[in-house]
Amino acid sequence: MNEAKARYTKDNPKVEIEIVDMAKADLEQKLHTMLASGVKDGLPDIVLIEDYNAQKYLKSYPGAFADLTGKIDHSKFANYKVGLMTVNGKVYGVPFDSGVSGFFYRKDLLEQAGYKPEDLNNITWDKFIEIGKNVKKATGKAMLGFGLDDGGLMRIMLQSAGQWYFDKNGNVNIANNEALKEAVKTYKAIVDADIIKKTSGWNEWVAAFNKGDTASVVTGVWIIGSIKAEATQSGKWAVAPTPRLNVSGSVNASNLGGSSWYVLEGTKGKDIAIDFLNKIYASDNDFYQKILVERGAMGSYLPAATGDAYSKEDEFFGGQKVFTDLSNWMKNIPSVDFGLYTYEADAAIMANMPDVYSGKITVEDALKKAEEQLKNQIGK
Amino acid sequence: MQLRKTSKSYEKTLDRYGWLFISIAVILLIVFMFYPIVYSLILSTMSSKGIVQKFVGFGNYTRLVKDEMFLKALKNTFAFLIIQVPIMLLLALVLAAILNDKTIKFRGLFRTGIFLPAVTSLVAYTILFKMMFSADGFINAGLMRLNIIKQPIPWLMDPFWAKVTVIIAMTWRWTGYNMVFYLSGLQSVPDELYEAAEIDGASKIQQFFHITIPMLKPIIVFTTIMSTIGTLQLFDEPMNLSQGGVTGATTGPGNSLLTLSVYIYNLCFKYMPNFGYAATIAYVIVFIVAILTFIQFKVAGDKE
Repeated sequence: MNEAKARYTKDNPKVEIEIVDMAKADLEQKLHTMLASGVKDGLPDIVLIEDYNAQKYLKSYPGAFADLTGKIDHSKFANYKVGLMTVNGKVYGVPFDSGVSGFFYRKDLLEQAGYKPEDLNNITWDKFIEIGKNVKKATGKAMLGFGLDDGGLMRIMLQSAGQWYFDKNGNVNIANNEALKEAVKTYKAIVDADIIKKTSGWNEWVAAFNKGDTASVVTGVWIIGSIKAEATQSGKWAVAPTPRLNVSGSVNASNLGGSSWYVLEGTKGKDIAIDFLNKIYASDNDFYQKILVERGAMGSYLPAATGDAYSKEDEFFGGQKVFTDLSNWMKNIPSVDFGLYTYEADAAIMANMPDVYSGKITVEDALKKAEEQLKNQIGK
Repeated sequence: MQLRKTSKSYEKTLDRYGWLFISIAVILLIVFMFYPIVYSLILSTMSSKGIVQKFVGFGNYTRLVKDEMFLKALKNTFAFLIIQVPIMLLLALVLAAILNDKTIKFRGLFRTGIFLPAVTSLVAYTILFKMMFSADGFINAGLMRLNIIKQPIPWLMDPFWAKVTVIIAMTWRWTGYNMVFYLSGLQSVPDELYEAAEIDGASKIQQFFHITIPMLKPIIVFTTIMSTIGTLQLFDEPMNLSQGGVTGATTGPGNSLLTLSVYIYNLCFKYMPNFGYAATIAYVIVFIVAILTFIQFKVAGDKE
């Protein structure tokens, strides 16, 4: 954002841009209270919102966000990103960073277990577990850092199959969702296979691979910054496509997280804000190259993928053209409607996971329970 | 005083000044206390998606009964209340009785040491506890070195142990705080009572049950009510001890740390913002506190 500001104010010296960094939870708290009270004074002109929450904001506060249909060329962005910011045919945001996922792994450790990079292309989760067992046997290291009550991986699995907790009409789709059933089974299989290092929370999870305790991590592209934070592991990493689920329609590409820009309606700087987003985030190819190199932020602006930075070989990843690969996978990410209640659904399912792990209830029963619980909670 | 009869108008002026002086406090009270109380009551009859509200009357209250997430939060909150509060208060009482003994050396040091946790920030101490109780943290490492356990205890990864961790943390944080109340109460208990009891041949334990506890009854009732209210509003500890805190999928493994306050927060800021439903749960907490306080007064048998 600072880079974007510098670029814009160079051409428009009269515009002043103030950037405020806030933790996600703090920002949401502030946004909700401000939007609900109707006071616009404290609100910014532009706000970055996580994609899972986009529909929630757009539908909870109708009229609060500016309609950007026709003002921004949305065809230049990854398709799945545009879908999630559309309400009643109107597009409200400017897609920003992508959460395209990958199977990041320690080449050296997997080689010890007898796996070459080409063995890891387009695998299923079953194969992943098998690899994990062999890695553990050969190196004694766990395959994954794994939060038992973290639903992130499940969302990766679901989206790879083009499915979500809800169907296209926004109705709860849990108990009879084949992809979800398979995802929960895979969670249990991963835990049962004893190939994980159990972690609690972000810090422990990151520490697991930074310390070299785990051989891989399957998550969004934004993890690269954290992986590279451990400089001694340079050259030892590589990335392969995300494993797919053993259900029809599942592909080796998915997404976790990501966020987009939104302009608030009724603020003084609205038109300038739109112009700013248009000139930088929806046109400036160089800008995306620069933030990729300096920040590791991978945009979902498609023309950027042909730029220098994206096709550069990355020494940390043993010379692999990481971002070229990730950009290619990004195009294949199935578009799903995150709906309004992603976090409620996530909580409902993860709340039943301890009983699934212990075998107290079957996967089918757990999902039935979760569906029931979710329906009652959201009042549907 | 009777010599100087004040005139009516003078009294009126006094009255006016009186009102003037308290007006600021009254206005603040109305704006920041009464208005929110009334408004949240009205809000609790609405179901909302952000600013899209619709009137549902008692709909939110009937919805509570079916909402398993709410029932889970209620159960968890009561589990903490029933287990943690008695342990903590009993411990505080025993510590206070011991540290009230004048023959103990370094009394001030011990008192300060036990009270000190109460001045730490809630967030800071829970984060420290989270580190200490992590899978390969200090506590597990220590217990394994001492050969007390063979496998690391999954403190924050198992629903049962997660609750235990919160209880340990809260007891550490709040015992000293309650102990200070008891200590100050004990200062008003005359030493003669203990001396007389000793002459009569009462043991220390008998003295504790027959002198200390009865004499401290009003303070015990007070701390029980305060702890009950505090536990019903429990928020910082579960939020910070659970994986990912605000951003985690569940609050603690299998939502084992989900309390009513955390659920209210989630309903406002994490889930689809339903301020109406959140207000309903806030009122449920008010009712529960009222009922429990009433019961505690009755059980304590104070006529006043």
